[in-house]
Amino acid sequence: MSIRAPRKGENYELSVDLNSEYRDKRKDAIKRVIASMTVGKDVSGLFPDVLKNMQTDDLEQKKLVYLYLMNYAKTQPELVILAVNTFVKDSEDPNPLVRALAIRTMGCLRAEKIIDYLCDPLQRALRDDNPYVRKTAALCVAKLYDLKPELVIENGFLDQLRDMISDSNPMVVANTVAALTDIHISATSNQPSDSTSDPAVFSITSAILNKLLIALNECSEWGRVAILNALARYDATDDKESEHICERVVPQFQHVNGSVVLAAMKVIMIHIRHVRRDDLVKQLIRKMAPPLVTLLSSPPEVQWVALRNINLLLQKRSDLLSNEMRVFFCKYNDPLYVKIEKLDIMVRLASDSNVDALLSELKEYSSEVDVDFVRKSIKAIGQTAILIESAAERCVNVLLELINTRVSYVVQEAVVVMKDIFRKYPSTYEGVIPTLCANLEELDEPEAKTSLIWIIGEYADKIDNADELLGIFVDSFIEESYQVQLQTLTAVVKLFLKKPDSSQGVVQRVIAIHHDVRDRAYIYWRLLSTDPGAAKAVVLAHRPPISIPRTTVSPALLEELLGEISSLASVYHKPAETFVGHGRVGADSVQRKGSEISDAQKALQTVVAGQQAENLLDFGDDSAQDGQPSGLAATQILPSTPAAANFLSGTSANPLDDLVSIFGGMETMDTGAGSLSTALSPTVTSLSSPFEGFGGSSAPPSQPAQNAQPQEDLLGLF
Amino acid sequence: MAIDGLIILDPTGRPIIQSSYTTYPAAYPLLHIEALNNALAKAPREGSVDPVIYVGELSCSSACCHVEVGGMRFLATISGDVDPLIAFAFLDAFTEILQDYFGVVSVATLKDNFDIVYQLLEETLDSSGHPLTTSPNLLSDIVLSPSLISKLLASVSATPGVPSVRQGGSFGSNGASGAFTSPIPWRKAGVRHNHNEILFDVVEEMRGIVGKNGTTLASNVFGKIESNSKLSGTPDLTLTFTNPNVMADCAFHPCVRLQKWTRDNALSFVPPEGRFILADYQYRPPQSAVVSNVPIPLSLKANMDMGEFGGTFALTLTSRLIKVMENLELKFYLGEDATSAQCTLSSAGSSVGSVGSADGSWSFNSRTKTLQWEILNMRSSGSWILRGSWTSKIKAPRPAHAFQIRFEIPSYSFSSLKVDQLRLSSETYKMYKGVRMRSKGSIEWRW
Repeated sequence: MSIRAPRKGENYELSVDLNSEYRDKRKDAIKRVIASMTVGKDVSGLFPDVLKNMQTDDLEQKKLVYLYLMNYAKTQPELVILAVNTFVKDSEDPNPLVRALAIRTMGCLRAEKIIDYLCDPLQRALRDDNPYVRKTAALCVAKLYDLKPELVIENGFLDQLRDMISDSNPMVVANTVAALTDIHISATSNQPSDSTSDPAVFSITSAILNKLLIALNECSEWGRVAILNALARYDATDDKESEHICERVVPQFQHVNGSVVLAAMKVIMIHIRHVRRDDLVKQLIRKMAPPLVTLLSSPPEVQWVALRNINLLLQKRSDLLSNEMRVFFCKYNDPLYVKIEKLDIMVRLASDSNVDALLSELKEYSSEVDVDFVRKSIKAIGQTAILIESAAERCVNVLLELINTRVSYVVQEAVVVMKDIFRKYPSTYEGVIPTLCANLEELDEPEAKTSLIWIIGEYADKIDNADELLGIFVDSFIEESYQVQLQTLTAVVKLFLKKPDSSQGVVQRVIAIHHDVRDRAYIYWRLLSTDPGAAKAVVLAHRPPISIPRTTVSPALLEELLGEISSLASVYHKPAETFVGHGRVGADSVQRKGSEISDAQKALQTVVAGQQAENLLDFGDDSAQDGQPSGLAATQILPSTPAAANFLSGTSANPLDDLVSIFGGMETMDTGAGSLSTALSPTVTSLSSPFEGFGGSSAPPSQPAQNAQPQEDLLGLF
Repeated sequence: MAIDGLIILDPTGRPIIQSSYTTYPAAYPLLHIEALNNALAKAPREGSVDPVIYVGELSCSSACCHVEVGGMRFLATISGDVDPLIAFAFLDAFTEILQDYFGVVSVATLKDNFDIVYQLLEETLDSSGHPLTTSPNLLSDIVLSPSLISKLLASVSATPGVPSVRQGGSFGSNGASGAFTSPIPWRKAGVRHNHNEILFDVVEEMRGIVGKNGTTLASNVFGKIESNSKLSGTPDLTLTFTNPNVMADCAFHPCVRLQKWTRDNALSFVPPEGRFILADYQYRPPQSAVVSNVPIPLSLKANMDMGEFGGTFALTLTSRLIKVMENLELKFYLGEDATSAQCTLSSAGSSVGSVGSADGSWSFNSRTKTLQWEILNMRSSGSWILRGSWTSKIKAPRPAHAFQIRFEIPSYSFSSLKVDQLRLSSETYKMYKGVRMRSKGSIEWRW
């Protein structure tokens, strides 16, 4: 048994006090023991002394002793056995609080040997007269199942729990539902997926449904959440039943507790799928808006969770909050995470009728101090321009005003956004170009530079001094980042095709340097020298107009996530399995969901996704997904590519490599279907990271594979 | 599986109190504490850490939801696919319970009463992750509050050896049978008061944004009916209003019978004992305009002049109300590089005479770089003026483009909600009834 502590020191004093003849002294000593325990001191040596104080009429003292036992049960189970008799005795105490306490603590001890003694008291407790004891016992069954499922089944606890759904006390019903749900989850998750036997421990029948609906209105907020979560799992037999459930659940929207409201939303979103009556659907949707707005008057943490859920709901029901945009206006002292979510939702709610208010807000935000938020706001202006054609001109004007502020990061972000607007509305806002070019010196970020270079290349024939402007970038070509180099090259070729007379010199100056850049340069060179017509077809090909999907997740995933409203999944906008346990499987299934589209569509989406990635105009900016708002800025920074390292260390020695990669590059150009910038821009690969796979509806993980495939084939030929 | 546990961290990020985490490896709570501390350390500024931090180190990945309370961090760890809102709602409920028990929630009070905090934790959160009893009404029976303990001890003049009142199981069994056999889950049975009273506090809070040109961009008024009930027996109350239609988007305490409200706009309920929030609502003014903004009860004129290495300003505040506004506070963030500020206060057109220093004061907080202007009593006539300048380390200073204004208006409600009457049925005693109105506002005023 335990070794006595030496006859001095703190523990010795405690031990003396624990054996004192005075109650108060003993109780005080127990408190001190617990205090030592919580700061991490080892007081396990006092176990027998503490145990002596377990039999007491003082409930508080008893609780403290139990606390001590729970703490050491895991490390010293053999000692806890000494307490078993008292536990069993307490479970028959006349005081229901003591009975419940004993059952609860025994359930928490998790010591094998205790568990064998637990079954009889638990059996009694489940049938106790006192509802407090019954509801404690119900949860205890779930804990027992976690440790030894066979004991639960042998003792018929499961059937007893199922009977308790009809208990007269709503709190008992709620805890029973919670316990059954826990057991159900652990039973179904342990079951191998190919097993034929039905793992459902807690299948909800119509009879149970009605009991749950009755208990729903009578129990505490936590009980309601448990019941609502169970209702969300129920498969309605017909549309009448779905309607019934919706009608009964809707009053929960008026609960003061936000988690009840969100759990009720989840139930409605699931069962509304089967509601056929249009008037009811409309009515339900109308009733969802006010509680969501009310949640926004909560503390920022709650707001954030609500906003993430609202974001998801809006993707399915865009009309949900159409008149409520003002509620989402950002305040200066809102935390950044709240602001960013609000911004996203504001753009989602943009329409012809409110776009002016939206734009003046976005302009306001663009003058704030926080760089991340400012950038995000400017992006939002671009998104608005692309979503609402009639407002595009106003957006452009706002952007021009922002450029005139000459604040460096504002100008750079605005230039990037302008490029996207040019792509959406080609040849509409050429008047802006001089202003953009005037700020050329301001630009020091690669993305802003590439954007401006793209614009110059694209409108080379309209810009008188295009060769001069591009000349500036050609002069500093070596120092520029890889991305800028490629874009400069393409722009110079475009310039040559449009104004062959004045720009030959520039083209020849560019043909140099880095092997990847040079590869592309060679392709252009060969195209230009053999067939300028073909070069035109490739380089100046018509690009599909840019568009922004209204959703950030694929439709299948959206449906799944809507079923997960009021859950962690809805906050991360990722299906639960990706972060609950089976991560690997989850990632696969997301890909599978993404690939449920035909190949042709996929190819098209590849192009679009590439553009989105390049434009960074996708809604699903993964700020929340990686848990860091600062990730926002990070997505824009060009990762240093290994190719760049190659460049620094001199070009590759193997000429075969070069040849191969030229053809590889050619091949990609073809598959890239005329979107050169998509196929060759490193931004695409950098952004089709797994996160973007969730964010953009279809960012293609297959892209690198496409690149690799033809290379191998060609190698085979050689 | 829901909330695995709760950890309370002191301002330096060390755990003070945590739930037992018996079913988890010992590293489990530590990993979450570390994840939170790392995130907080990495954050460039306050309020930029996501409230839900994902912890993926363990095979069963989980997340921690955290809030700040009295300088401490309350951290609820959740695993599985759980609504983070449950965690926040629980944290909120738990904080409220602590406030109920200790008055002030601080490191000192929690450390002094750690045994009570532990008991509360045990009672409110099951180790399987389900929140249990969070109703203060029921908890007060199971866990005695420190004030009650000291009162009892004082009255019994604790002699060693003499069993104190709390021992002998009398309190336990009485409380338990009272609390948990009650047919009404939120109310304990058998409550007796010599003096029966119920008080209602209608608190309305305006949140608004005013644009550069002085137009109201958004203003919403959220109302709350806070109640404090000390009534014997099982009182069945009906509260009616003369103008219930000003309350929109209501949410109610579970005790309110929803059907009655939908049918005759009357609040019919059996209240819990003590303090509780009867209803939440939003005040929507009559739909005259397209945008239903509630008018802002004050106006601010700001003349800003930005110069190099600083700037000057002249701010004029005027009340638009007949009522006196109290504790008005205007905050102005002067930018990260602000170094100092100098101001003078004055007033104009006030019939009561010159505004003494008691009426207004200003200060510059060099840590938060914020200028603060306070007016304790702002009467309806006249205007208050703050003129001054500030200096900055950089040539083109970047102060906030908005002022944050907070104010309180006693005995006033934006909605003019009026209680018609409160009827008591099912009990025969006379009760004292009271209704108080109170309003406050937080306005962002841009320039």
